[in-house]
Amino acid sequence: MEAILNRYRNLTVLLAVVAVQLGLLGYQVKGNGEVRLIRVWAVGAVTPLARVIEAGQSNIAGFFRDYFLLIGVRRENQRLKDDLDRVRMENQELRTELSTADRARALAIFQERSPSKTIAARVIGNTTGVSAKVVIIDRGTSSGVRKGMAVITPNGIVGKVTGAFPTASYVLLVTDPSFAAGVLSQQNRVHGTLKGQGNGTLIVDYVQNEQKVNAGEWFFTAGDDRIFPKGLPVGRVTLVRQGATRKELFVAPSGLGDGLEEVLVVVEGVHAEIPEIATAEQPVQLQEPPPAAPEIAPLRDGSPATDADRLVDRYRRIGEIEKHEYGGHGGRAPNFNVTVEPRAADAQPSPPAPGTKQAPEKQAAPEKQ
Amino acid sequence: MPYSDLKHALPPEAEKRISRDDARFALGRIAAFQYIALGVFLFLLAGFWVLQVRDAEENSQLAERNRIKTVPVLAPRGKLLDRDGRVIVDNEAAITLMLTRETLNPDHLDAIARGVHMDPEDLRARLKRFQSRPKYVPMVVKQDLAQDEIAFVESHRDANTFPEMELVRNQRRLYPRNGLGAHVIGYVGEVSEQELDSSDFAKYVQGDIVGKAGLERQYNDMLMGVDGQRRVVVDSGGREREVLESKEATPGNSLQLTLDLDLQVVAELALEGKKGAVVVLDPRSGEVLAMVSRPAYDPNAFATRVTPEYWRQLTSGGDNPLLNRAIQAQFAPGSTFKPIVALAGLETGIIGDHDAVSCPGGANFFGRYFHCWQKHGHGTVDLHRGIVQSCDVYFYTLGNKLGIDNIAAYAEMAGLGKRTGIDLPNEAEGLMPSTKWKLRTQRQKWYAGETISVAIGQGAVTATPLQLASAIGGIVSGGVWHRPRLVKATSTVEPRRMELKPESVASIVSGMYGVVNEGGTAAASRIEGVEFSGKTGSAQQISNELRKSGKLDANESKDNGWFVGFAPRQNPEIVVVALLEGGEHGSLAAPVARDIVKSYFDKKLRLTQRGIRPSPFALLKPPALP
Repeated sequence: MEAILNRYRNLTVLLAVVAVQLGLLGYQVKGNGEVRLIRVWAVGAVTPLARVIEAGQSNIAGFFRDYFLLIGVRRENQRLKDDLDRVRMENQELRTELSTADRARALAIFQERSPSKTIAARVIGNTTGVSAKVVIIDRGTSSGVRKGMAVITPNGIVGKVTGAFPTASYVLLVTDPSFAAGVLSQQNRVHGTLKGQGNGTLIVDYVQNEQKVNAGEWFFTAGDDRIFPKGLPVGRVTLVRQGATRKELFVAPSGLGDGLEEVLVVVEGVHAEIPEIATAEQPVQLQEPPPAAPEIAPLRDGSPATDADRLVDRYRRIGEIEKHEYGGHGGRAPNFNVTVEPRAADAQPSPPAPGTKQAPEKQAAPEKQ
Repeated sequence: MPYSDLKHALPPEAEKRISRDDARFALGRIAAFQYIALGVFLFLLAGFWVLQVRDAEENSQLAERNRIKTVPVLAPRGKLLDRDGRVIVDNEAAITLMLTRETLNPDHLDAIARGVHMDPEDLRARLKRFQSRPKYVPMVVKQDLAQDEIAFVESHRDANTFPEMELVRNQRRLYPRNGLGAHVIGYVGEVSEQELDSSDFAKYVQGDIVGKAGLERQYNDMLMGVDGQRRVVVDSGGREREVLESKEATPGNSLQLTLDLDLQVVAELALEGKKGAVVVLDPRSGEVLAMVSRPAYDPNAFATRVTPEYWRQLTSGGDNPLLNRAIQAQFAPGSTFKPIVALAGLETGIIGDHDAVSCPGGANFFGRYFHCWQKHGHGTVDLHRGIVQSCDVYFYTLGNKLGIDNIAAYAEMAGLGKRTGIDLPNEAEGLMPSTKWKLRTQRQKWYAGETISVAIGQGAVTATPLQLASAIGGIVSGGVWHRPRLVKATSTVEPRRMELKPESVASIVSGMYGVVNEGGTAAASRIEGVEFSGKTGSAQQISNELRKSGKLDANESKDNGWFVGFAPRQNPEIVVVALLEGGEHGSLAAPVARDIVKSYFDKKLRLTQRGIRPSPFALLKPPALP
């Protein structure tokens, strides 16, 4: 069969074409089509090519038309964009310069007013620790920086120098978990130890539950840690609550601010008084120097006591009520069963801490900010 | 022109030579580099060998020690409670600084010592003393750190500064303020080297906190707890990361004392600003209800470490605040001794109730004129009036008749001249002279004239306030002497009993009742509704000759004022002795006892009204009295 087809190839092809033609004619007659199939095929075969050619012509024409028409606008647009970017950058630079000038001015004023001798430094980098909060400053031993020196800004304390090299130093920030400093509250003069937490919040430890600290109260350096001179702002209390054994105090650091660029290293610390006036959010250096304040405001006697101490107080009151001098030669023995009204301070009961016997003073307020 | 082109331009010989030189030069550099690399490699290999082979064990141990830290958990001492369960001595949270000696850098010691207000030499000495203990045991540097010291330690104990510093939370002793009960309670402190050498403290080690005085020392073993410890994993910064093992501390046992805080407080207030002592006993049990010695010291100052300034303040001057006058002050009892002399006279039958003596204001004995305190004399005086008016001439006469050995026998029977055996350290014996005593100590015979002074509680006889309280308490209770004690205990020592004639006891009690209630020497201390009885006493501290010499100031030459009282008259429940050093007269000491006795009965009334039984011993059968 294959041999026959090969031998009569032309004829075979012709017959096949005729057969297909006949079939298609039949299909067209049966379908009642108005357009002949041959035309359909011709159009179908030519149209894509024509579309390509047409598109090419259109694109080329459009390209040249657009190019010649819009080339000026594009250039203008680009120029305007460049101008805008340049203006923006100039604006930013000016703002930065202004901010830098402000900080520099604030730093200069603070340096001038601070009783401590300080040197200015710039933060030039961070270290790569998992939890360590350490920055590098551009002053080192050649500038007089020594390990253990305090680092501050006009807004508050920043940290302490933990490593000093000839031209740079490491500064452990107040937020580092291993950081600690002695602090004193502004209003109630409560002593405590500031500790970093590894995040943006600090805590003040070693404050007894009986001691009073208000939310929003400022803490200042107490000067007893041998690092920070007394009187530098530390931060504001954001949360106060009673703890199991001691008060839990959270403080937002004031010295770190939004960013840390310029700092002061305290090379010779001089203790200063803690300002009596309320500390504003603005930098401390802009305030007038505080008036001379008492070293420590009188504290209520909230120190721990035993039952014996409370009984002494009761019998002293009996003596006062009965106008009796114990062991005195004159008069008569007092009536020890006389009713003793509780003192005003004793009339505010509060639950004693486990294991302690002192009636603590009433804790003020919810202390939550 | 490129080098390659230049090379091709050279003659073949030169080209070969250059090529050979190039190869030689390259080979030389490669060889040098190889040698350097080999050297570096060998160096690293040597370091590796040192670290990993030669010192591997030591490095491993060091790393392990650095990683695992032992933190002691200090045990709190037991509390001291009064007889009603009220807290006299408590504990409060404190912070202690310890040094981890394994990682200690000796160069840091000076700075650390200065930071916590210590003498660096003192710290070095402590470290040296501590050397005998294993190195992993941390050393206590200072207890109860102040706020500034805590701030210093916390801010410097990071890995870059002084990582050997360790803060430990523990409990420190909290004593009452103003030295209340200080001499009874005592104080604690770090065991000294001398104490470690003694048998009492042999089981303790350097750094232990032990009782140093008073009940703290007497019951140290009971009060001390057993320390625990925690083994923790720390990071490179010294921060605790994990607890590997935790052994809790065992707190010490609390002690319930016999002291009644109400009476103690009243006694303390009554002696405020004075120099002297008060002892309050329950004669039915020997329980000490109150014991005060003034001036006192602040035991809180000893709870950590007493400062040299405070120690100087305590030990300089003549007031001696460290002396527990209640059990250690040995003074002539003066006229408070007369009831004992009267007992001796009645029991021996040398006198009767109605035997009278004429007192013209003095009398001659053995060629010497002895004055009565009442210069104008008391007139005719029998035993009752002799006690009420405290007539010296009556007791000179009685003493002369009795002789020193009879007096001594009854005084010793009552407990004078020997320790009472109270559960406090360092009790004084007092002195009751006798012929044997004088022969033994002075190798001399007793002269009858010496008895005259002893008969009124002067001369060689001395007693402590506790001895006097115990002696009089036993007599007025009918001859039963309980050993004084400060701690409530289930088992008690059997009391000493002596068969006393009930009428003798009644006569003495009657006389002492008259002292307070019949216009006697303590009439001003009468208590309405309470049969308060007692005896005043004024005792010279110095001889008349020395007083007349004018070498002493006014205070030094003043007499001591004594008062011994009890109540009620029948079946006494409370005996009080008040001693005022330089108090001049016993009548000035009587109000101290009066206030205490009044507070006792007021409290009893208060408790009865509330339906509370005042004391379990109130139900004990009292000794028989006529």
